[in-house]
Amino acid sequence: MPDDLNWAIGGEAGDGINSTGKIFAQALSRAGRQVFTSKDFASRIRGGYTAYKVRSSTERVESVVDRLDVLIALTQRTVEENMDELHEGSVIIYDGERTMMEDFEAPEGMIDLPVPLKSLAEDAGGAIMQNIVALGAACEIANFPIDNLDEALEKRFGDKGQSIIDNNQEAARLGEEYVQEEYDRDEFGYNIETTDNDYVLLNGDEAIGMGAIAAGCRFYSGYPITPATDVMEYLKGRLERYGGHVMQTEDELSAINMALGAARAGARAMTATSGPGIDLMAETFGLVAQSETPLVICDVMRSGPSTGMPTKQEQGDLNMTLFGGHGEIPRFVVAPTTVSECFHKTIEAFNYAEKYQTPVYLVSDLALAVTEQTFAPEEFDMDAVEIDRGKLVGEDEIDTWLNDSDQFQPHFPAADGISPRTLPGTSGGAHMTTGLEHDELGRRTEEQEVRIEQVDKRNQKVETAKEEEEWDYREFGDSDADTLVLSWGSNEGAMREAIGFLDEADVSVRFISVPYLFPRPDLSDEIEAADDVIVVECNATGQFADVIEHDTLTRLKRVNKYNGVRFKADELAERITEELDTPQEVPT
Amino acid sequence: MSSDVRFTDFKSDKQPTWCPGCGDFGTMNGMMKALANTGNDPDNTFVVAGIGCSGKIGTYMHSYALHGVHGRALPVGIGVKSANPDLEVMVSGGDGDGYSIGAGHFVHAARRNMDMTYVVMDNRIYGLTKGQFSPTSREDFETSTSPDGPKQSPVNPLALALAADGTFIAQSFSSDAQRHEEIVQQAVEHDGFGFVNVYSPCVTFNDVDTYDYFRDTIVDVEDEDHDPTDRDAAREKITNDTEYQGVIYQDEDSVPYNERHGLDSNMADIPDGAPEDATDLVREFY
Repeated sequence: MPDDLNWAIGGEAGDGINSTGKIFAQALSRAGRQVFTSKDFASRIRGGYTAYKVRSSTERVESVVDRLDVLIALTQRTVEENMDELHEGSVIIYDGERTMMEDFEAPEGMIDLPVPLKSLAEDAGGAIMQNIVALGAACEIANFPIDNLDEALEKRFGDKGQSIIDNNQEAARLGEEYVQEEYDRDEFGYNIETTDNDYVLLNGDEAIGMGAIAAGCRFYSGYPITPATDVMEYLKGRLERYGGHVMQTEDELSAINMALGAARAGARAMTATSGPGIDLMAETFGLVAQSETPLVICDVMRSGPSTGMPTKQEQGDLNMTLFGGHGEIPRFVVAPTTVSECFHKTIEAFNYAEKYQTPVYLVSDLALAVTEQTFAPEEFDMDAVEIDRGKLVGEDEIDTWLNDSDQFQPHFPAADGISPRTLPGTSGGAHMTTGLEHDELGRRTEEQEVRIEQVDKRNQKVETAKEEEEWDYREFGDSDADTLVLSWGSNEGAMREAIGFLDEADVSVRFISVPYLFPRPDLSDEIEAADDVIVVECNATGQFADVIEHDTLTRLKRVNKYNGVRFKADELAERITEELDTPQEVPT
Repeated sequence: MSSDVRFTDFKSDKQPTWCPGCGDFGTMNGMMKALANTGNDPDNTFVVAGIGCSGKIGTYMHSYALHGVHGRALPVGIGVKSANPDLEVMVSGGDGDGYSIGAGHFVHAARRNMDMTYVVMDNRIYGLTKGQFSPTSREDFETSTSPDGPKQSPVNPLALALAADGTFIAQSFSSDAQRHEEIVQQAVEHDGFGFVNVYSPCVTFNDVDTYDYFRDTIVDVEDEDHDPTDRDAAREKITNDTEYQGVIYQDEDSVPYNERHGLDSNMADIPDGAPEDATDLVREFY
């Protein structure tokens, strides 16, 4: 794609890499370009290699690729780390006056572009703005109108005063002018376009937070953990505007128990964490189900087990969310496949939770959480949001659900498994519930018949949901192709682009991306119709492949990745062809 | 709320399975009376309990109630109160539940100062698991898991609460029904986290911390002209070895968490769709 621009800034953690990257992504987005970002970062605050990559195009971009066109290297290591992605014509911007780069010479075919970042930044008012100088230089290289960058800087520094904005805009201008004076723009071969399209730019955690507010969430309790923390940071301050509250708790046990308490009191409530936090919450997860409390529990996965690799991608918690917890626990497991689906699936999760009075796992992953992506604002259609609170019984109906002694029956064994629910404060509705096995009044029992009745009742909710809801999938590619690729979670974007690469190699595939993990769609017919079925997932053992094999009694091929990095589109295309009987060369 | 609520309205029709003579009967009665005396009724009251003998209280009381998991009752109560500040929230725990597995939550609940009441039935032993030492057991207390005594210092719950900036710290004895009721009532009336540690003897497994022991040793702070607003005096009471009952410390300027954070609406009330200005949330990402 000639209009594609793959840009990155890399350096040490603490160098302002993230904020610089985001400013550039916003500048591109405001210029009507589609953007897809990714981050490499280490689990430390200062020091350690970190990079922010921005891919942009006038076409839709869904993934990262193994290609870098413009690289701002604040350290020598940045070049080394990205050497594989640099190509003939790649431009490397660095500070030629900094000793750490003084012996630097661009590898063959790449353009070495020293810019006195620090000195120019000082001229503009402070060395701290050296990254902004580099952004100005990048605008000139890409022939990208710098006024878009000016707007992004206004947005970023708007609350810090006009002089800060002015200084930063000046820094960008000095970077631009330096390149204009010292180099010939035609040397670079980049000439990216702008459009009149309006886009919003956000990441998966933010989309989950926004979905939660849209869905009427009013109480959020959580403990900071990578990569789920952005959900809490997004909600803090915003949830309060709607009469809600964000509670940073002492630990994950407290987080889920507070959310449970708020949910019992009638609030739509959520907690978000990552794998280690899910482990800690497992006991209360059972209580949520046993007490039939509606609750959304978000797991933004990272590499495990144990502390694993906290800042790296993995989809290793599927088994935990499907099967975790002692005993047998009815639940729903919903997994968004794109940043925008993070919004939509969060709203669905709240509705399932209240309609069926169950815990709902909303399973996202690090790749979605840290990916900023552009969308048409219409993709977040607030008018389309519907809130279904299920069998919530008010004072006018409560008589229907009282027994002969006027006691409310919170666990009444209705045929569809869903009991009436009444909120504290409702006159005549006082009742208890418990994690112990209980009767229809919520009182402890070990009566064999009641035990069976209540277990069946809770499990019936899932059966009812299977019938009432559409547990469908998203489909791409050629629906008649002999090769079927299945995936879940964040792999969708890379796989959608991989279809394009595969097309060029004359490999036609049908791609099914599954957002519902339990209940999940029955894929028997689709698998039956294909010659090759390949399951793509970011884990070592193929947890999703296992459950689909179990469902369909068919052996499936697997493409797994577990080095901590998400799939790239070109890489994925190659891995797919390797699984075919007649592997094809994929042109990239 | 109705003015003609009697404390028996808080009683369920279930007969407690606590051992005959258990201190928890008196503890619970005082809680029900305190609730009725302060104008509450079962429909606006939420009782949370953890696990153990104390955890059974939700079954024997009539109110909105949740019997949760071991040691986690306080966070549940904080969630309930946050979501609906009109509710009277009372949390009940035991010494094992509250000071062992739940000790972390206790400290944070005290400093968070949510407007609720926490009543701990402290019998200084694990009763429901049949007689192991608890966090408040004496250093030389012989049990099935401490044949020579636990050989570690007992937790001092009042000291923990004071160290965590608790705003209402009290102790009572379940057998002194009148005083126990008064003290719990003061905890309910307190603006903030009202904490009462209740000596609630276990007649089956604890032959040391018995009714007779407490009757013989307990001292009412009122008899010593104690000023509960004096923090230094409270610290002295909490750290000397006397078994006290009464309000040991009360911060009269306490402003509860819910008030500080403006939690004054019922979070159960939400619109049928996204909030009216929700598109502004999208526009923030331009």
